[in-house]
Amino acid sequence: MNTLFIGYGNPDRQDDGVAWHVLSGIAKNLGLDVSSSWEEPLPSAPKADFRFELQLTPEMAGDLTAYDRVCFVDAHTGKIPENVQMVDVTPEYQTSPFTHHLTPEMLLSMCSSLYNKAPEAILISVRGYEFGFETKLSPFTASLVSEAVERARGWFESIEANHRFLKMSLVV
Amino acid sequence: MTQKITIEPVTRIEGHAKVTIHMKDDGSVEHAYLHINEFRGFEKFCEGRPYFEMPFITPRICGICPVSHHLAAAKAADDLQGSPAPRPANLLRELMHMGQVIQSHGMHFFELSGPDLLLGFDADPAVRNVIGVAHTAPEIALKAVGLRRFGQEIIRTLGGRRIHPNFAVAGGVNKALQASERDAILAGVDSALEAAQLGISIMKDWAGRNAEDINKFAVLKSGYMSIVNADDSLNLYDGDIRLVDREGKQLEKFAGQHYLDYIAEHVENWSYLKFPYYKKMGFPEGVYRVGPLGRMNAVDRVSTPVAGEEHKRFKTLNNGHPVEQTLYFHYARMIEVVYCIERVRELLDDPDILSTDILNTRKDYKGEGIGILEAPRGTLIHHYKADETGKLTSVNLIVATGHNNWAMSEAVDSVAKTYIIGGEVREGMLNRVEAAVRAHDPCLSCSTHAVGQMPIQIEVISPEGEVVQTISRD
Repeated sequence: MNTLFIGYGNPDRQDDGVAWHVLSGIAKNLGLDVSSSWEEPLPSAPKADFRFELQLTPEMAGDLTAYDRVCFVDAHTGKIPENVQMVDVTPEYQTSPFTHHLTPEMLLSMCSSLYNKAPEAILISVRGYEFGFETKLSPFTASLVSEAVERARGWFESIEANHRFLKMSLVV
Repeated sequence: MTQKITIEPVTRIEGHAKVTIHMKDDGSVEHAYLHINEFRGFEKFCEGRPYFEMPFITPRICGICPVSHHLAAAKAADDLQGSPAPRPANLLRELMHMGQVIQSHGMHFFELSGPDLLLGFDADPAVRNVIGVAHTAPEIALKAVGLRRFGQEIIRTLGGRRIHPNFAVAGGVNKALQASERDAILAGVDSALEAAQLGISIMKDWAGRNAEDINKFAVLKSGYMSIVNADDSLNLYDGDIRLVDREGKQLEKFAGQHYLDYIAEHVENWSYLKFPYYKKMGFPEGVYRVGPLGRMNAVDRVSTPVAGEEHKRFKTLNNGHPVEQTLYFHYARMIEVVYCIERVRELLDDPDILSTDILNTRKDYKGEGIGILEAPRGTLIHHYKADETGKLTSVNLIVATGHNNWAMSEAVDSVAKTYIIGGEVREGMLNRVEAAVRAHDPCLSCSTHAVGQMPIQIEVISPEGEVVQTISRD
C-alpha cells in the first residue's frame, strides 16, 4: 500500500504553515533525516512519500492517483471544535470561494472526474492562531504538532497492519 | 430608501476584496466600488535587508506569481549593483518567465474564467467552478491541467522547484540549462500549443454566442501600457515601456528607469490600493490598462507566427482601434499563452541557451536599481535604493494589479449599472460583477489558506446601517 502525506500552507505566514512541521515530525518519527528548511524536498519511507506545497492545485490530481491512500495535512480556524482534527475525506463536488485554493474534497473529485479513480483519504488539521509575516509557529499551535504527528503515525500504522492482515488472510 | 449591497470577498481572485453597490431610491445603482482591503506592507518589511536577498524575499508576496517578483527583483538588483546579466542568463530568465505566464494564464483561463465561459454566468454556482468544468468537459480540463504542468515544469527545471524558485541572482542566474533538460521541455511544446489554441477556440465560440454580454459588459475607454521591443512588438521580459491613448496612438515610449517621470499614483480613501495614471494627463483622464488586454492594445504586432496571426485578428475586433471590452481580456490572455509557448521554442533553439556564461561578477555599484517586466497581470515595477553597505533604505513595488485598479472599479460600476434594474439582485448578476473583476485576473496579495476561513457573504445595507438582506456561499 502506497501512502502519500501531503501538507500545504504558507510557512511565511506563521501557523498557516503548520503542516510542514507535522510532516517533518511524521518523517522524523519514521526515522528519516529531514532538512530544517521547508523548501527542501522531504525524504521517502518504505510505502510512504511526503510532499509539502503552498497550496493544492489541479495538476496534483494526476499525482494523487498513483497512491492508495492520502493523508492531507492543513491548518484550520473557525468553528471546528477540536484543536487537532482527523476526518475522512471523500470526493465531493463543492462550491469554491477561492478556486486558487482547492480543498482536498475537490482535488479528490478531480481525480475521479479526470482519471476515474481516487485514493482513500483523510485530513488532519491543526488549529492556527497567528497568521502574520513570521516563520515561527505561535506557541499554542506549536504545542499541538506532536498530537497531530501521533495521530497521523497511528493512522499510518493501523492501515499498514490491516493491509498485512488482509494479505496474510489471502495467503491462508 | 437607498441601500448598499456588499459582496465580500470577491470569489475566485487572490487576496481579499469587497464590492459595495450603492443603490438609489428608485432601485437603480448610484455607484459601485471595488475596495481592496488588505494592506500588504511588504515594502516596509523589506527595508534593512541586503538588496541581493530581494529575488528570494519578494516571491513570498504571492504563491501564484512568485516568478515575476523573483525576476523583477533580480533585474533591479542587476541595476543596483551595476552588473548587467550576460545574454545567456537573460535568455534563461525569459524562458522561466514564459513558464510563469503559461501556467498563470492557463490556470486563469481554464480554471477561474473557464467556468463562466464553459458553463455560463447563470449556471448554478454549485457547479460553476473548476470541478464543474472537470465534470462537464473532462477532456478540456485534462488539456488545461497539462498546459499548466508544462509551464510549471519549465519553472521547476530552471529553479529547482515550482514555487519560489532559486535561480535568478544579481548579475545573472545560478544554473545553466542542460541539453537533456532543453529536450524535455521541447518535447512538450506541441501539446501545450494545442491546448492553448483550444483555449482560443473556446473563447471565440463563447464570444460568438455572447456578443451582447461582451458589448454591454464593462466597455471602458482608457490608455494602454506594455513593454515593447524596438519595433513596438510584444516583449514580456525586457524593453522600453510604451503607453498609448484611447485611440491607440503612442503617448510615450520610455526606458523603465524613468517610470517616475511618467507615472503617478492617485489615492482614494475607500481602497488601500493606489490608482496609477499617466502623469501628464492627470487623474482620471490619464488612467490606463495593463495585462493581456493592455498589451495587445499597446503593441503593434506579436512576433511569433501563430500568436502574430491571432493578434492581427484581435486588432480587427474594433477596426484597428483599441479593443475596449473587458471580457476580451480572456482572448488576449490566450493569445499571450500561444506567444509564450512559441517563444519557449525560439529560446530553446537559440545556440546561447546552453551556455555556461550565466553570471556577471563584475560590479559598478550604483546603490539604486529598477527592474521592470510584464508579469501575467501587467507591468511589474521593482525600485530599490540601498546604502553603501547594500542595505535597502527604500523599496517601491508597483504591482500589475495596481495599474488596473481604476479599470476594475469602473468595470464593476459599469456592470452593476447595466444588470441591476429595479433593485433586483440575482446570483447571475452578482457573478457578472465578480467576473468584471476576475477578467483582470487580479492578484491582491499572498494568502493564507487555512481550513474554515472566508465564506462568501453579501450584505444589503440600508443608509441607517440596517442589514436588510444577507446572502452567503460557504
